[in-house]
Amino acid sequence: MAEIVAERYTGASIKRSEDPRILTGAGRYVDDIKLPGMLHAAFVRSPLAHGRVLSVDVSAAQALPGVVAALTGADLEAMTVPGPDPLMALLGAAGPTPEFSLLATDKVRFMGDPVAIVIAESRYLAEDGCELVEADYDDLPPVMDAAFALDPSSPPLFANLGDNIARPHSRHEFGDVSGTFASADRVIDFHIDVHRHQNVPMEGRGCVASWDAGQGVMTVHAATQSVHITRTGVATRLGIEGDKVRVLAGDIGGSFGLKIGASREELAVAAASRHLGRPVKWVEDRGENLIASGQAREESFDVRAAVSDDGDLLGLDVKTVIDTGAYPGMGMGAMVPDIMEAMLPGPYKLAALGFESTAAITNKATYVAYRGPWASETFVRERVLDLVAKDLGLDPVEIRLRNIAPRTDPPASMITGRPLVGVTTKESLEQVAELVDFPAFRRRQAEARAQGRYLGIGVATFIEAAPGPRPEGPEGSLGSESMRLQLTEDGIVALFTGQMPHGQSHQTTLAQIAADEFGVPFEQVRVVVGDSAVVPFGLTGGSRSATMTGGVALHGARDLKAKVLDFAAHLMEASAQDLLITDGNVWVRGDPASAVAVSEVARRAASGQFGDDVDATLEVEATYDGGEGGWSGGTHCAIVEVDAETGLVKVERYAAVEDCGALINPAVVEGQIRGGIAQGIGAVLLERSAYGEDGSFQSATFMDYLMPTTCDIPRIEIEHLETVPLDADVNFRGVGEGGMIVAPPTVVNAIEDALSPFGVRIYEQHLPPARILELIAAADPAVRWLQVLASAFDEDDVTPVAIVPSDALPGSDDAESGGPVQRHAGGVLRENAGLDGPDAVGLGGDDKGTE
Amino acid sequence: MTDITLTVNGATCTGSPEARKTLVDFLRDDLDLTGTHVGCEHGVCGACTVILDGRPVRSCLMLAVQAAGSEVTTIEGLAPDGGLGTLQQAMWDSHSFQCGFCTPGFVMQATAFLRDHPDAGEQQIREALSGNICRCTGYQSIIDGVLLAAERNRER
Repeated sequence: MAEIVAERYTGASIKRSEDPRILTGAGRYVDDIKLPGMLHAAFVRSPLAHGRVLSVDVSAAQALPGVVAALTGADLEAMTVPGPDPLMALLGAAGPTPEFSLLATDKVRFMGDPVAIVIAESRYLAEDGCELVEADYDDLPPVMDAAFALDPSSPPLFANLGDNIARPHSRHEFGDVSGTFASADRVIDFHIDVHRHQNVPMEGRGCVASWDAGQGVMTVHAATQSVHITRTGVATRLGIEGDKVRVLAGDIGGSFGLKIGASREELAVAAASRHLGRPVKWVEDRGENLIASGQAREESFDVRAAVSDDGDLLGLDVKTVIDTGAYPGMGMGAMVPDIMEAMLPGPYKLAALGFESTAAITNKATYVAYRGPWASETFVRERVLDLVAKDLGLDPVEIRLRNIAPRTDPPASMITGRPLVGVTTKESLEQVAELVDFPAFRRRQAEARAQGRYLGIGVATFIEAAPGPRPEGPEGSLGSESMRLQLTEDGIVALFTGQMPHGQSHQTTLAQIAADEFGVPFEQVRVVVGDSAVVPFGLTGGSRSATMTGGVALHGARDLKAKVLDFAAHLMEASAQDLLITDGNVWVRGDPASAVAVSEVARRAASGQFGDDVDATLEVEATYDGGEGGWSGGTHCAIVEVDAETGLVKVERYAAVEDCGALINPAVVEGQIRGGIAQGIGAVLLERSAYGEDGSFQSATFMDYLMPTTCDIPRIEIEHLETVPLDADVNFRGVGEGGMIVAPPTVVNAIEDALSPFGVRIYEQHLPPARILELIAAADPAVRWLQVLASAFDEDDVTPVAIVPSDALPGSDDAESGGPVQRHAGGVLRENAGLDGPDAVGLGGDDKGTE
Repeated sequence: MTDITLTVNGATCTGSPEARKTLVDFLRDDLDLTGTHVGCEHGVCGACTVILDGRPVRSCLMLAVQAAGSEVTTIEGLAPDGGLGTLQQAMWDSHSFQCGFCTPGFVMQATAFLRDHPDAGEQQIREALSGNICRCTGYQSIIDGVLLAAERNRER
C-alpha cells in the first residue's frame, strides 16, 4: 500500500500558476505569434444568405501591391482533399453528409460564408484586397426558419441532399407513454422556444499555419480545445500524414465549445500556407466571430406533460426541431437530440418519455457546441415543472421535492437508462430553500407588490454527466484518458496531458493533485499542454477533465512514485516499502537524515550506470477509465425585480448549491460556476443572434449582440455539497457546464414569478425589456388594468406607453400560446437594454474612448 | 507613413506607421508589446485599454499617429521589474481571471480608476469596469481583486 500523504494542495484554493504571465501581459495567444516571412489572411464573405455563385474575380485583388495571393473556392478545392468534417467523422455522427468546399464554390449558404481568401503582407492590405474581389451571385430564396426548411417546397441548400433535413425525424419511447398519458389526471400542452445565441469567447478563432517544404511538415499554431483534433482535420483535408502535422497551442482566450478542431477558414489558411510556402496568420475580428464562427441553441419544443392532480409529473412527450444552420457537418446540431433525450428526465421520477426530433438546415451560421449543448432539455423540464405548479397551485420547491427520485440503494435510474447514482438534487434544493428563506421572500414580495414593484423568485435543478455514472455491463465505458508522467533530472514532475485548457486552470489543478500524490511541492510539478508532438490525445470539453484528467494525474503520479521508489531502493539500499517521498525528498521511514532529493535520484537514474536489472526510466504512461464516474448537479435560485414600465429585469440575488464531489480547487470551481451563470443570465436578458427575414445577420457588433457586464451580474452565493463518495480516490467531478445549463430556467422562472400578478406565462428563453413589455401587454387585460390601477394608487407616474392593448401588438396572439412571436432586431434591443445606463458605457459614452 | 515619437512604458519609441494604423496594432506589431489585446475593434469590450497621458483609452479606437508625443502605459509597463504591482497581486490572490484575454484591459482600467478613486466601494468599481467585458468569470472575482487592492493601498 502506498503511504497516505497528507493532502496539502488538493481541496485548497491554490493560487493559479497561469496568473503571473496573464497579469503582466506575458500570456502567449495565437495572435501574439510572429514568424519570419509571415503573411496575413482575410476572407471575402457572402453578403447574401442564399445565392448561387456566378463568378468570383480576384484579379484586381491580386494586382494590388502587397497582396501575395487571392484564392477562390475553386483554387482551394484543387489544393485540398474533399470529405466529411473530420471531427464529426471521429465522433461517429450519423445521417446524410452535405458536400461542401472550404470556401463557397457553387453556392453561398449564409451571410458571412467565406468565398475567397486574400493573403498579403499585412492584415490591412489583405482587407484592402478583399475590397477588390468581385463576386457575383444569383439570389436564391433564403431558408430562414426550421418550419420552412422542413417544408418540401424549400430550396435545398445542398444539392446532394435534396432536402433541408440534417437529421431525419425519429421517435423513441421509454416506459408506457400512451398508457401514462391515457390514465393521467391532466395532460398539459406547451410550445417552448429557445433562441439562437452564441459562445463569444473574448478571443475569436485564429491560427498561424507554417509549411516547411523541405521537411514536408505543417506546423499550425492554433486556438483549439484539442491539438490532436485540429491535427486530424488539417492532415485529412490537406492530405498530409498525421505525423507530419504538428499543432501547437499556447494561451487560449476562451472557447466554450467553439474551438473544437479546425474550422473551414483555418483549413483554408493551412492550404494557403502550403501553396505559398510561407507562414500565414488569420485571426478573426469580432464581426467575423459573431457572423461566421458558429451559433448555438435555437430549438423549439412541443411538449405534452402527463400530470396527476397532486402534482406528480408522470410523463413527458416532447417533439423538438433543431435549427442547425448551414454546414451541419461542421457542427453538432445533429448529435444534440440524442443527449437531450437521454437527459430529459433529469433527477426526477418521470415514468414515461416520448421523444421526437428533427434537425433542419437553414441559411444561418452553423450550429456549434456551446457550454452544455443539450441544455435546452433542462430549460424545458424546469419550465414545465413551474407551469404545472402554477396550474395546480403548488409552490416551485414543493413540486420539485415531490417529483425528485429518492436516493435509494441501488439507485433509481432515469427512464432513459442511466442510474442516478450519488445524485443529491433533493439535498441541494432543501439547502437553497433554506439559504434564501422562501417564506421571508414571499412576505417581502407581497409588500413590494403593494407598492407596484414586481419581485420574483425562481428555482431550477440540474444534473450534469461530468463524466456521468459508469455505464452498466461489460461494454460500459466512460472512455479513457491518457497522461505521460516523468521525473526530470531537475526533480520536476512533468505531466504531459492532451487537455487544452482555455481558462480551466489545469496547469494549477492537475499540479495540485500530482504534488500531493507524488510528494513534491506544488511548484515542482509542470503541466505540459499544447503540442501534438509530445502530449497524448485529448480534448478539453464535456466537463470531463476533473474526473478523467484529475484521475489520471492521481493514478499516474502514484505509478510514477512507485517507479521512483523502486529505483531509489537500489540507490539507498533499502526496501522500496520502507521509503517515503515527502516535500521533494526520498527518505527511509524513521530516518530523516537519509533524505535524498528527488532531483538527485533522477540524476543518478539518468547517469546510465545501472544494469539491465534496474529500471532507471523514471517515466510512466498512465490511463484512467473514469472509475465510478458520477454526476454533478445542484439547485440554483434567483431573485429578480422586473420594472413593469421599462421591462428591465434586475437580478437582485443569485444562490447556487452544487455538488461536484470533492473540490480540487474551490476558487477554480466557483469561477466555473459563476462564469456559466453569467452566460445564462446573458442568454435570457441580453444575448441573441438575430437574423432578418431576408437572412441578413443583425447582431454583428457588441452594440447589437449585448454581452453581460459588471452591472448585469450580481454577486453569486455558492454552497457545496459533497455527499456521496463513489470511488476510493477520485471523487472530483466536472463543473464546466452546469451554470450555463441551469441559469436560464432559474432566471426565467423568477421572471414569471415576478409577473404572476399579470397572469403572464412564459414559453421562451429570451426576455429583453421589449419582450417583457409585450408579455405584460399581452396578459389578460382585466388583470393588467387591475395592476395598473393598483400601482396608480401608489405612484402617479404610470407610463401608459408600457401598456399597449394586446391586439395592437404584432404576434401577441402567439405570445400567450408560446407560438412564433414577433422578434426584435438588435437595434431595438440596444435601445431598451441601455435604459439603465451601464451598457451605454460600452458605447464609448464615457471618457475611455479616443479624442 | 508618418514618423512619430512617443513614450511607451517610460521609453522613447519612434515609428512610421501608416496613418490608418490603430494604436493597438502599432503597439502589438511595431513595438512587439503583445500584452494589449484586440477584443472587438469597435471600442466596446475594453480588452485593448491602455493608459495614455494618464487616462484609460481604447487603443483600438485611436490611431497610432494620434498618440504622437504622448505617454503610453501598457500592461507590460505596470511593474517593470518583472514582478506584480499591488493590483496585479491582489487579482492573483483573488483568482480574478480565467482565460486571461480580457485581463490587460481590466488591469489598466482598474489601475487608472483606483488611482483617482482610492476609496471606491463595490458599486463604484462595478460601474467603472462596466465598459470591460469578461466572458469567463461572472465578474465577481475581478471586483474582489480590485476591492482587495484598494484595501491594501489604503493600509500602506
